[in-house]
Amino acid sequence: MSMTIVMCALLIAGILAWFAEKLRRHSARNIALMSVLVTSAYFAFAVFTSHSAVNYGQLQELVRVDWIESLHIEYALAVDYLSLVLVSLTLFLAVICILVSWHEIKEKAGFYYFNLLASIAGIIGVFTAVDMFLFFFFWEVMLLPMTALIAIWGHENKHFAAIKFFIFTQVSSLLMLVAIIAMAMLHAKQTGQLSFYYLDWQVLDLPVSLTQYLMLGFFIAFAVKLPSVPFHSWLPDAHTQAPTAGSVLLAGVLLKTGAYGLIRFVLQLFPDASANFAPFAATLGVLSILYGAKMAFAQQDFKRLVAYSSISHMGFVMLALFSFNAIAYQGAVLTLVAHGLSSAALFSLAGMIYSRIHSRNLADMGGFWQSAPRMGGFALAFAAAAFGLPGLANFVAEFLSLVGAFHVYPMLTILAALGLIGSAIYGMVLFQNSFQGSLRTPDNRQFKDLSIREFLVCSALISLLIVIGFYPSLVLVFFQTADLAQVKDVLEGATL
Amino acid sequence: MTIAMLANLLPILLVAFGIVLTLLLIAWQRSQKLILAFTLLVFISALVASISLPVHLNESVQVTPLLKVDGYGNFAFMLVLIASIAVSVLSSTWLNSAAEVHDEYFVLIQLVALGAGILVLSSHFAALFLGFELLSIALVGLAGYGRNCQYSVETSFKYLILSASASSFMLLGIAFIYSQVGSLSFAPAHVNAGYGLFYQAGMLLFLGGVAFKLSLAPFHFWTPDVYQGAPTPVTLLLATVSKVAMFIVLLKYWFSQIEVMSAHHSGEGIQSIISLLAITSMLAGNALALKQQNIKRLLAYSSIAHMGYLLIVLLIISPQSIALAWQSTLFYLSAYVLATISIFSALILTSTKQNSTSMQVIDWHGLFWHRPSLAVLIIIAVLSLAGIPLTMGFIGKFYVLNVAVQAQQWWLIASLVVGSGIGLFYYLTIIFTLFNSEQQGSYEQGLNLPVLKGIHQVSVIGLILLGVFWGVFPDTLSQLFAIQ
Repeated sequence: MSMTIVMCALLIAGILAWFAEKLRRHSARNIALMSVLVTSAYFAFAVFTSHSAVNYGQLQELVRVDWIESLHIEYALAVDYLSLVLVSLTLFLAVICILVSWHEIKEKAGFYYFNLLASIAGIIGVFTAVDMFLFFFFWEVMLLPMTALIAIWGHENKHFAAIKFFIFTQVSSLLMLVAIIAMAMLHAKQTGQLSFYYLDWQVLDLPVSLTQYLMLGFFIAFAVKLPSVPFHSWLPDAHTQAPTAGSVLLAGVLLKTGAYGLIRFVLQLFPDASANFAPFAATLGVLSILYGAKMAFAQQDFKRLVAYSSISHMGFVMLALFSFNAIAYQGAVLTLVAHGLSSAALFSLAGMIYSRIHSRNLADMGGFWQSAPRMGGFALAFAAAAFGLPGLANFVAEFLSLVGAFHVYPMLTILAALGLIGSAIYGMVLFQNSFQGSLRTPDNRQFKDLSIREFLVCSALISLLIVIGFYPSLVLVFFQTADLAQVKDVLEGATL
Repeated sequence: MTIAMLANLLPILLVAFGIVLTLLLIAWQRSQKLILAFTLLVFISALVASISLPVHLNESVQVTPLLKVDGYGNFAFMLVLIASIAVSVLSSTWLNSAAEVHDEYFVLIQLVALGAGILVLSSHFAALFLGFELLSIALVGLAGYGRNCQYSVETSFKYLILSASASSFMLLGIAFIYSQVGSLSFAPAHVNAGYGLFYQAGMLLFLGGVAFKLSLAPFHFWTPDVYQGAPTPVTLLLATVSKVAMFIVLLKYWFSQIEVMSAHHSGEGIQSIISLLAITSMLAGNALALKQQNIKRLLAYSSIAHMGYLLIVLLIISPQSIALAWQSTLFYLSAYVLATISIFSALILTSTKQNSTSMQVIDWHGLFWHRPSLAVLIIIAVLSLAGIPLTMGFIGKFYVLNVAVQAQQWWLIASLVVGSGIGLFYYLTIIFTLFNSEQQGSYEQGLNLPVLKGIHQVSVIGLILLGVFWGVFPDTLSQLFAIQ
């Protein structure tokens, strides 16, 4: 299996789409959709054929060649189940992204699809890179087209939101870059050679007094991306101003890169330092849960409300990861998938409503159920998913996270569970204000129900949410053997 | 002087000889096209000579006590020549506007290149001062060259007076150092133990003179005015040639002193002053650029910040990391020179004849949709200056961070991170302006843009490809000056 082919195919398709749009209108979206479908098919085929032969429980190296020899930087990709699950999520949401922008993007569509595909390629790179320089490279590369998506096709306050998004991530990632360089230098000190290779770093033996600072460098970069409470303020702005596909991508996958970084790098490279830091991180997680829920309740803007709910949900991930517990770990991974689907669904819904009434303000909505019952049904289901109704994926995910975390931080977990009540409140506020009640403006009488394309998007998302909700082993089966051992290693190394 | 020495000096000799020939050519026939072609010929032949120079990096050839030809200096001279070629080519578009023949202009450019060449190869204070003055005086002439431009008198006077006072400070510093060391050579034969206060005071004055040329805060006040007032190609010359040459000579002197300093612990005071200069330059440069609307002023402030970043390489603690520091410097300077050339080319190609001193960022409004190639060039250059991956600037910054981490200069790293964060704001504003498609008032973009000629189009695309290629495969560049 070659992830390089997947990334290159997406990038080349993006360039093709850019130029094709100049020749024929609407050709860009067709090219983009085809390329994503074809690469997804290739990816699925490659995974299934290699599945029996290769154990993805461990990191499986796909390619490793020299890139910048003078600094011993390599082009190295590797995957394990975590990467595979997240890449699948990315590819699935890529299809959703293209479908929701089908009619939304009318101007400069060629360049739009180029940016969309480039940022998806960058995200896949982030999930597969194991050379830390390469990881950083992708980390930044996925950022540029994303910023362009917000800055060019965003709403009224797009420049401010895009700059804020970019500066937050860039400054925090510079801290990570310093930590990466410091790690490479330490490797040079211990073995006599610079190395940016992740697996080389794992065998280094470093004192906690040193690793706690390095860990902090990584942690801040990932906490900004996640986002966790003190670093969250870019998210509501970026989400609100981004075009629908931008929001879907941002909430669905980009936030997951932060969680992925925490799992792959912070916890596994610096187990001792993370264990020392864990109570603090878990507190941040609980703060995110409660603060996000509270702020979501107070919003009048549909997308802003969903954005704050993302902060709240990502708090569960942080709490679960830093409780160093196998069940909580499974809950965290499942939350990533479940939240990726449910937030993508809500943002798609916001986009569909926006295309009809040109407003995101809840005060302008209301009574849509009368003319759009199918859409209302889906909205209710998605809101229910967001507040964790049993039978949908988020319930299992949050339940596992809380059960796991309860063993370690009983008090914090009790507080975190209050977030569930908060989420039920803001979920109902969202649904009631938009679909129930009376029509606010007479124009809304002509509010159209779902078109076939939109129906397809919604039903794909809801069916996955239901399937995972009833049969979570679909995802969890991958995280029961090897990763458990790794978590146990971490647990034993921890001095709690 | 042997033949080998002469051969090593060939690039410089070619430029010097070229100047004389140019003067003769002016006496023979005054034609602007001819003189431009001849200037380019001189620069290109010097470039070919320095590329083919058989200098290995680890060795150096002392040519008289004054000059020392080594791989680093040679590479820096190539950078100087490339920048000079770009300046000459870009000048031709700018000079076309007037009726007179501008041959002295090209002589001055060659003089600047010669001065820079002497600077980057010098190993003696006499050579340093010679190169410094040659560079400065020719630049004063160039800065005020556009007689009819709005700020030409102010610009050249400001540059002349401040440059003269800087060089007198430097001269005094050199005298102080000489009074202690007893030799004008950078690396004196015997090093004495007890260098006193005068040595440090001399270093400080010398550093002040260099800091003026590099426009490090707080010696930066001339920079925005001169950048704005000088003709745009001359601004490019100031931003690239003069800075590269001064930085290289500073590095040469400094690294030759490292051993003296580590032996006598006299360097700590100077080191902390350099850190202070670096930190103030990074923060002040970026902070002052924030509110700039004029592109040339904005670039002036951003260059202050960049010299601040680069100053970090001076603060290595052990002589072992000198090689890495050199590599970082040369890569960073290459990235900086390429980005600056790109952005100034775009500036000249998008401005109509008169308004290049008053070009605002807003004038680039929506450029991406009208002149995509130029806009992409600007984007790559700006991203490179901001240090974002895919561009050379990122690799340069990565190198500098490597040096800083190795030397454990955490305060400098912190201010680099903060400075880059501030810097992103104005860099992104430029990029967003390029993408902005909303019409503002009656402003009709696209109609008043000059049309690109074929040759311009090709060079623009060449610059874009070069910037990205070296950003993704930096090895192809760094092996030119990396120690095998």
